[in-house]
Amino acid sequence: MQAVLPSSTGVIDGGVVALAADTTFDELRWVRRAQQADSSAFEKLYRANVDRVYGLCLRMTGNRSEAEDCTQDAFIQAWNSLDKFRGDSAFGTWMHRVAVNVVLGRMRKSRREQDRIRAVSEVAPVRQTIADDGELRDLEGAINELPSGARHVFVLHAVYGYSHGETGDMLGIAEGTSKAQLNRARRLLKQQLEAEEK
Amino acid sequence: MNGKDDRKFDDDLLERAAKLAAPVAPERDLWPGIEQAITVPRKPRRSAWNGAWAQAAAVILLVGGSSGLTYLTMSGARNAVVPTAAEAPVLVFEQASANFGSQYTLGPDFQDARSDLVEKFEQRIENLSPEARVEVLANIETIRKAIDDINRALSREPDNVLLQELLINTYRDELSMMIEVDGITGAAMRRGDI
Repeated sequence: MQAVLPSSTGVIDGGVVALAADTTFDELRWVRRAQQADSSAFEKLYRANVDRVYGLCLRMTGNRSEAEDCTQDAFIQAWNSLDKFRGDSAFGTWMHRVAVNVVLGRMRKSRREQDRIRAVSEVAPVRQTIADDGELRDLEGAINELPSGARHVFVLHAVYGYSHGETGDMLGIAEGTSKAQLNRARRLLKQQLEAEEK
Repeated sequence: MNGKDDRKFDDDLLERAAKLAAPVAPERDLWPGIEQAITVPRKPRRSAWNGAWAQAAAVILLVGGSSGLTYLTMSGARNAVVPTAAEAPVLVFEQASANFGSQYTLGPDFQDARSDLVEKFEQRIENLSPEARVEVLANIETIRKAIDDINRALSREPDNVLLQELLINTYRDELSMMIEVDGITGAAMRRGDI
C-alpha cells in the first residue's frame, strides 16, 4: 500500500530527497529507477497515472482514439525526458504538463491536416462523451463543442482546477487570455445547455 | 436572466465541471505500444567529437613530427655520420595504408615512389648517430600513427575535406622526413597522386 505523504523529506537510494505533495515514496523510487532506464519501473508509473492522463487527454481532445494516441505519446515523451523531472512537483502533475503539450502539439499538426482535408470536403470531428450521469453527459457534450482555445482553458481551469497562471503557462497564453477564454467558454456553454433544455 | 442567476449558473457549472476530473481508464491497455516504443534500441548518436578529436590529435602529432624533423635536420647537419651498432628499436616499415578514407586510394605512382624512398631510408638510417636514429624513428612513428588516426577518421567522414588535406600533408611530412634522411630531393606528393 502506498502512503501519500505531505511535502516532506525521505530517503531514496541512500540520499535524502524532498517529496512534493501527493508524491509517494514508491513513486519517487520508480522515477529514480526509470531514470536509469528501468522500463519495469516506468510501467509502474504508467499504471499509477494512466487513468488521470487519459482522462485529461480525453477531455481536451473529445475523442477516444485521439486520447489514446495522446496518452501513449505522452508516456513515450515522458520516458525520453525523464532526466528533466527533478521531483519539484508530483510525477502526476508533471505528466499532466507533458500530456497537455502532446495534445496541443498533435492538435496543431492535425489542424494543418484538417485544413487540407476541409479544402476538399467538410469533415466534422467525431465527439464522444463518457460521463454516465445525464447532466454531466450534457455538459461534457457541450464542452466538446467549444472552440479548442476555450475548451482547453475550461478543461484545465474548471475541470482540473489549475489556476489561470498555470493554465496560461501550460497552454502558452497570457493569464488574461486564459480568463477571457474561460468567460467565453462559460457564455457558450450557457447558450448551448439552455438551448438543449428547450 | 439577471446577475444572480448568472452567478448560480457559474457555480453550478464549476461544480459539475469539477466532477469531470475523475480518472478515466482507457478501453485498451496502452502499455504494450509504449513499451515497444521505449525499448527499441536507441540509434547511437554519431558524435562529432570523435572526428574532431581525431583531427586535433592528428594536428598535435603533426606539429610534434614537424618539430622533430626540424630538430633532426639541424642536429643531423652538425653530427658526423658514424656507423654504430643498432641500439634503437627496430623500425618495421609496413606498406602505407592504401586507404584514403573509404572512398580514395593512393595512386600507384605515389606508392612506387614511396616504396623506393622507404627502401633507401632503411639503408641510410643505419648511418645516423644513435641519438639521431632514435629521434627519427620516434618521429616517423608519430607521423605514421597520425596517418592511421586520420585514415580512421576519414573512414567515418569520407567527405571531410579538412581531413583529406590533413592526410595529404601528413604523407608529405613522412616523405619529407625520409627525403631529409636520405638526402634525396624531389619526389613530392601532390593531390593528383591520389
